[in-house]
Amino acid sequence: MFWKRQVHIAIVFITGILTLFGWFVDSPRFESFVNDDATQWYDIIASFAIILGALNLLKLQFLKIVKQKKDWQYSILAVVGFFFAITAGFFWKGANYIHINNVTANVSTVAPVIAEMEQKTIEQVLPLLEGADTYDVGHIFIIKGSAKKYFDELTASGVNAEMKEKSWGEHLLEEGTVFNWLFKYLFTPMSATMFALLAFFVASASYRAFRIRNFEATLLLLSGIIIMLGRVPLGSSISAWFIAYIIVLSAGMGANIIWKNRMTTFAVVTGGILLVTILGWISGWPVDKPGFLYLPVLQEWIYTVPNIAGARAIMIGIALGMIGTSLRIILGIEKSFMGE
Amino acid sequence: MDKNNFISIIIKLGKVDRRVIFLLIAVVVLLPLLFPIGLPIRATDTTQRSFNAVDALGQGDKLLLSFEYGPSTKPEIHPMAEAVLHHAFSKGMKVYIVCLWPDGQFMAIDALNAIAPQYNAVYGEDYVLLGFRPGGEAVVKGITSNLRKLYTVDYQNTLVESIPMMQGVNSLADFKLIFSFSAGYPGTVEWVQYGSDPTGVPMSTGTASIQVNEIIPYENAGQLRGVIAGMPGAAEYEALIGKKGLGTSGMDAQSIAHLVIVLFIIFGNITYFLERRRSEKKY
Amino acid sequence: MYTTEIIGAWFAVFLTLAIFSFLYKDNPFYKAAEHLFVGVSAGYWASTFFWTQIQPNLFGRLWPKLTEEPSGIKAAWYGIYDFFGWFHEGIFPGGGIDKGHELHLFYLIPFLLGIFMLLRLSRKLGWLARWSMAYVVGLAAGLRLYGFLNSNILAQVRGSALSLFDGWGTAINSIIIIVGTLTGLFYFFFSKEHTGVFGKISRVGIWFLMVSFGAAFGFAVMGRISLLIGRFYDLIQFSGSQYYHATYWLLALIVIILGFQAFRERGRSTEEA
Repeated sequence: MFWKRQVHIAIVFITGILTLFGWFVDSPRFESFVNDDATQWYDIIASFAIILGALNLLKLQFLKIVKQKKDWQYSILAVVGFFFAITAGFFWKGANYIHINNVTANVSTVAPVIAEMEQKTIEQVLPLLEGADTYDVGHIFIIKGSAKKYFDELTASGVNAEMKEKSWGEHLLEEGTVFNWLFKYLFTPMSATMFALLAFFVASASYRAFRIRNFEATLLLLSGIIIMLGRVPLGSSISAWFIAYIIVLSAGMGANIIWKNRMTTFAVVTGGILLVTILGWISGWPVDKPGFLYLPVLQEWIYTVPNIAGARAIMIGIALGMIGTSLRIILGIEKSFMGE
Repeated sequence: MDKNNFISIIIKLGKVDRRVIFLLIAVVVLLPLLFPIGLPIRATDTTQRSFNAVDALGQGDKLLLSFEYGPSTKPEIHPMAEAVLHHAFSKGMKVYIVCLWPDGQFMAIDALNAIAPQYNAVYGEDYVLLGFRPGGEAVVKGITSNLRKLYTVDYQNTLVESIPMMQGVNSLADFKLIFSFSAGYPGTVEWVQYGSDPTGVPMSTGTASIQVNEIIPYENAGQLRGVIAGMPGAAEYEALIGKKGLGTSGMDAQSIAHLVIVLFIIFGNITYFLERRRSEKKY
Repeated sequence: MYTTEIIGAWFAVFLTLAIFSFLYKDNPFYKAAEHLFVGVSAGYWASTFFWTQIQPNLFGRLWPKLTEEPSGIKAAWYGIYDFFGWFHEGIFPGGGIDKGHELHLFYLIPFLLGIFMLLRLSRKLGWLARWSMAYVVGLAAGLRLYGFLNSNILAQVRGSALSLFDGWGTAINSIIIIVGTLTGLFYFFFSKEHTGVFGKISRVGIWFLMVSFGAAFGFAVMGRISLLIGRFYDLIQFSGSQYYHATYWLLALIVIILGFQAFRERGRSTEEA
């Protein structure tokens, strides 16, 4: 019981206090442990958690296939995708490249071949070969056989070339390996497109769901509209006088709602339009004046004044909550993260 | 057509199938990409302050760039990363690059391959890519206290001791400015909390649009010197340095899409009010 | 253009269009792409974190590169390493892992905690994962507490200080910011009922929060449209002749198949009616 219920609370307390005191204790050894080792341990354990997540996902997909639940056929794709990624990560490097030894003596021979492999011009390649006796060709071949044509061309010309492989670990971040191919042509398009889908749903929500039901909703939508238009180049092309006319028409609608009198509404709208027209005509219709109606200026004010106030309130509120929760966790009062 | 019919049509349009809206958005975004308009770009104050922060550095000053974005936010952040690199190389700064995201290293390599050759920048003398280290804020803390303990080798496994421009660079305090290209966690917030604030090294940032509101209080409080906000911010920075890039080319589509969404909101509300008025009249 | 790049482009276009096909309706193309994404993501992240964290930082500290022939306990310790190396020489290269670290047997603790984390999959021993979780949560709590206190509270309070003597505009804006911040914070105080004067103050706070949410909405739209532009750029690029017009062919294929499916379903529902 002790091992299952008390030990982890003690661990939370000790690690939390140690980390917190690490900011205030002036001892190099202690600081080194807290700043370097403790946080490295955190990253290592977090990495195991990621692997746990992946294994758990695999387990769930397998169960779905075995029990033939709804849409189990698609789970096969999930499993295939997972194993392909693991194969690319741990078993199939596909990181072959050509290493040339005697570059200086064979610049005229190797330059065109390297240019073809790296898809550059000879003029772009020559500076890279200057003063270099050895050269690792930038292009990586997934299959050795694909490099054979170039390798044979080089060796036939008397160039001392070798087929080499990037090391494990390097294969993850090196352009052209199997893992990189998976990242560039499978993971990236799917991940980016999932995010991009939201653009359509935001547009649909704007049309079908965002309604000015009360004053607060009006503030929200007005602020959103002004930011959206003011921050793009189109906003600076919309004249401040156009906004003035929109305000006059909105005032007319407001007058109609409040007084429900046609004469009053007519007077407000006509008077407003006349006033704006006269002022605009006198000033020569400058696009960016009056400044408080010019969208980029209006947007900037909203962004840097009332928006900051709201965002700051949220930030401070979250920080206070975070501090309270952190203290509760360290002191063992909050145990919900353990599933208790 | 009488007034009632007209109102009925408007109300019906308000209930149109959402797939029509999806198609409209797709067309509205695609057409300006294929047929650019070339709308003029005007820098906002926050982008200007970010530009000024980088511009304040001169020949030989050490600039630390941190890449923490991936392919899903590349359209927003990559243009600003390239623009800042243009700016840095044109002024002869020494550029040091670290990455808090593994994808960030790919992005950094892409950006460097595109920009560095234009200024004949030499690796190891004008710029160095130290690479990705996992750990989020732990990496920031590590750089703050002892960079060489964290980075013994660069991204190509070359010993840091043998890289000329790493002489005398031991911690965050050795840099003149931190610039973070951030799409989320870990990113700008971690650099502010564990890097810039504890050491006082000035910092600026470029972020994905979705993160802008989260970090704008830092800018207002002086913890950040300017913010480049999303693709429009990248276009503004490109305009300031006088080099058009991907940020600028996306602005036409962005502008028209925003206008259409605003019109959707307005039209949607018009139909809502008309419908409400009609149902009120019934009762 | 290399064959791998062309094949990759066709995969990328197909998967992009398959996910976009969800906008028409949920369909087999989308489901297939979604499940493939789930599997590939899991494998991708597991591989990435293993090679960037576990292998260099954990194993690299438990079995760093040997500079001389080990003897005694060290030889036995490296004997275990050679045994692991028999299974995968890439993860455990001969002679130790060269990542610039020194031997730190202390790191057996996170290794053990990591194994405990994986034991979550076992019903009998799953409770051991609590110890690992406890470490992670405890450390994060201690780390975040200071960072949030310093940067998100103290610095923000300092930043809210009134600038009354830098001109009328700055003074008014400064007052608006502090009023908005305080009233917004009043709104978040839920221990007291929002009635009377307190209610009116928190109502003002809500207005500032609404402006902030509106701005956040505007930026969210901006971000999503930018990402859509990015996807369209790629589709336009892959429609070129060097990629054998992948976008056009695959778009036509998906539209035809989905159109045919819709036609069949309509025919079926007409029959049933």
